[in-house]
Amino acid sequence: MADLLSYVIRKLLLAIPVIFLATFIVFLMLYLTPGDPALALVPPRHTPADVEEVREKYGFNDPIYVQYGSFLWRLFNGDLGSSVSPATTGLEVSSMIVQRLPRTLELMAIGLTISYSLGIPLGIFSALRQNSLGDRSVMVFTLITYAMPSFWLGILLMMLFGVYLQWLPISGAIGGITSIILPAITLGLGNAALTTRMMRSSMLEVARQDYITQLRSRGLPENEVIYKHAMKNAMLPVITVIGLDIGWFVGGAVVVEKVFSWQGIGMLTVDAIEKDDFPVVQGCIMVLAIFVILGNLVADILYAYADPRVRLG
Amino acid sequence: MRLRQGLNDRLISWKVSGGFRQTVVEILERGRRNGMVVIGFSIIATMIALALLAPVLPLADPKELNTDERLLPPSSRHWFGTDNLGQDVFSRVIWGTRVSLAVASLAVCFSLIIGVVLGLTAGYFGGAVDYIIAGTIDLFWTFPAFLLALAFAAALGASLWNVILAISISYWAGFGRLMRGQALTIRERQFVEASRALGATHGRIMFTHVMPNCLAPLIVWASIGVADAITIESSLSFLGAGTPVTTPSWGKMLSMGMINIAEAPWVTTFPGIVLLITILGFNLLGDGLRDVLDPRMKGMRR
Repeated sequence: MADLLSYVIRKLLLAIPVIFLATFIVFLMLYLTPGDPALALVPPRHTPADVEEVREKYGFNDPIYVQYGSFLWRLFNGDLGSSVSPATTGLEVSSMIVQRLPRTLELMAIGLTISYSLGIPLGIFSALRQNSLGDRSVMVFTLITYAMPSFWLGILLMMLFGVYLQWLPISGAIGGITSIILPAITLGLGNAALTTRMMRSSMLEVARQDYITQLRSRGLPENEVIYKHAMKNAMLPVITVIGLDIGWFVGGAVVVEKVFSWQGIGMLTVDAIEKDDFPVVQGCIMVLAIFVILGNLVADILYAYADPRVRLG
Repeated sequence: MRLRQGLNDRLISWKVSGGFRQTVVEILERGRRNGMVVIGFSIIATMIALALLAPVLPLADPKELNTDERLLPPSSRHWFGTDNLGQDVFSRVIWGTRVSLAVASLAVCFSLIIGVVLGLTAGYFGGAVDYIIAGTIDLFWTFPAFLLALAFAAALGASLWNVILAISISYWAGFGRLMRGQALTIRERQFVEASRALGATHGRIMFTHVMPNCLAPLIVWASIGVADAITIESSLSFLGAGTPVTTPSWGKMLSMGMINIAEAPWVTTFPGIVLLITILGFNLLGDGLRDVLDPRMKGMRR
C-alpha cells in the first residue's frame, strides 16, 4: 500500500500545474475579449465611475503578473466576482454556481450510470459472439452513436419521445423525476459507444490469453471463466478511460443542458455567453475545469488501485 | 511504347524510393481493399465536391429571407423545406458544408503544424528541451479540449477565424504527443545516426528522416481530428459561441430549428443527418486507415 500512497502523492503533485494552467487560461480570457477588459466586467448600464472602480478593484493599471497574482488570490478566497447581466446584476458568481452544481452532478451521475451499465454488458456480449450478426449490429450502433454530436442525439430523442410519442417532458426546467430521463440518456449514450468498444476489444484480447485457455481446459464452466476470471482483467482498460470519459461528460453536459434547458452549470455558462456576462463565464469554466482535473485524478487512482503494475511503473 | 516504358520506370522508382512517396503509394493500394476506407472516402469526396460547387449549383440564396414562405415542408421547390425565416434549408445545408469543412480542416492543419513542430523538437532533442515541451503538451492534453475551445471562443467572440483558433489551441496536444513518442524511438535508429555522421543538419534529419516515418499515424489522426473538429465547431455554433449568426452553419441551424421542433421537424432533421454522415465519413476513413496502416494503434483515440 505504501507504493499506492506514493503514486497518489505523485499524481496530486502533477495535477497542480494543470490547475494553474486552468487558472491562467481563465485569467487570459479577459484579455482576449475585444476592447477594454474593464468594460467586460461592468453591467451594460454603467457610469465612467463604475468602470474606474472595476479598474481599481481588479488592478488593470498594474503590471500583468501582479494582476494574475491578485486574480489567484481572489480565486483562492472563493471570490469569483459578481454577475453583470441585467437580470442578475450584483449576484455573487460563486453562489450562482453552488446553486446550479447539484443539478449538473445529478445529470452526470445518472448519465455515467447509463453509460457503463449499457456499455460494459454490450461490449462483453459483442466480444463473446465476435463477427456474429449481433456483434456487427452492436458495432454499427456504436459507430453511429459515437459519431453523433450530443445535441443532435438530444434533439432526435426529444422529437421522438417528447413531441411525437409525448411520453416524456422535453424540458428539464419543469422538474420532476421524468424530466431527467431524456437528458441523462443523451449524455450516457454517446459515451456508452466508447465504453462498448473498449470493453469488446479488451475482452477479445484477454480471452486469447493462456490462463483463460488453461481454465477452460480444466473444465471450468464458461460463465465462470468469463465472469470470474476474464472480466477482472478485461475491465482494466475501461477503468483507464474513465478519466477521459469525465472530460467528455463535462463538455457533453454543457451541450445537453442547453438542449433540454436543464438548469445546471452548463446552462449557466451558455446563458452567460449569450448575455456577455463575463464574470459568470469565467467562474463556470474554472469550476468545470477543476471538475475534470479532479475527475482525472480519481480515475488515475482507481486505475492504480486495480492494477498494481501502474503504481510501480 | 517508349512512353509506357517511361511511365513504368517512373512507377517503379516511386515504389522503391521509400520515405514519403512509398508511404503514400502503399496507403492508396491497401486502402482500396478496405471497406471502411472506401465508404469514408466516398462520403468525404461527395461532401468536398458539394462544398466546392456550392457557388455554381442552382441553389436558392442561403441568406435570403422570405416571410411569405416560412416553415414550408419539403417540396419540389424546397427539397428540405424552409426555416422560420423562410430561408431554403437545402441551400443552407449545402453552404453549411463549406463552413464546416473549411473550419475543421484549417483547424486540424494548424493543430498538426503546432503539434508536429513541438512534438518533433521535443522527441528529437530530448533532455531539457523535451522536459519543457513534453510538460506543456501533457498540460494541454489533460485539459478538456471542448472546455478550452469554449473558453476561447466565448472570449474572442463569434467569428470563423476565432473558432478555428479556439479549436487549434485545444486540439494540437494530441498530435504533439503522437509525434514526440514516434520521434523518441526513431531518433535511435541507425539511418538517423548514419545521416548525422554524413553531416546532415538537425533540421534536415528531423524533417526528411524522422517525420516521414511518422506519417502513417499522423494521417490517421488527422482524419479522426477533422471529425472531432466538425463536432466541436457544430457544438460551439449550437451554443452560440461559434460561427456568426448570419453564416449558414449546421450547428446554428439545429439550434435555431429547435424553436419550431414540433411543427417543422425538417428544419433540424436534414442538417442533423448531413452533419452525422460527414462526421461518420471522417471517422470511418480514420478507423479504416488505422487498420490498413498499423493495427497496433487500435483503441488509440481521445
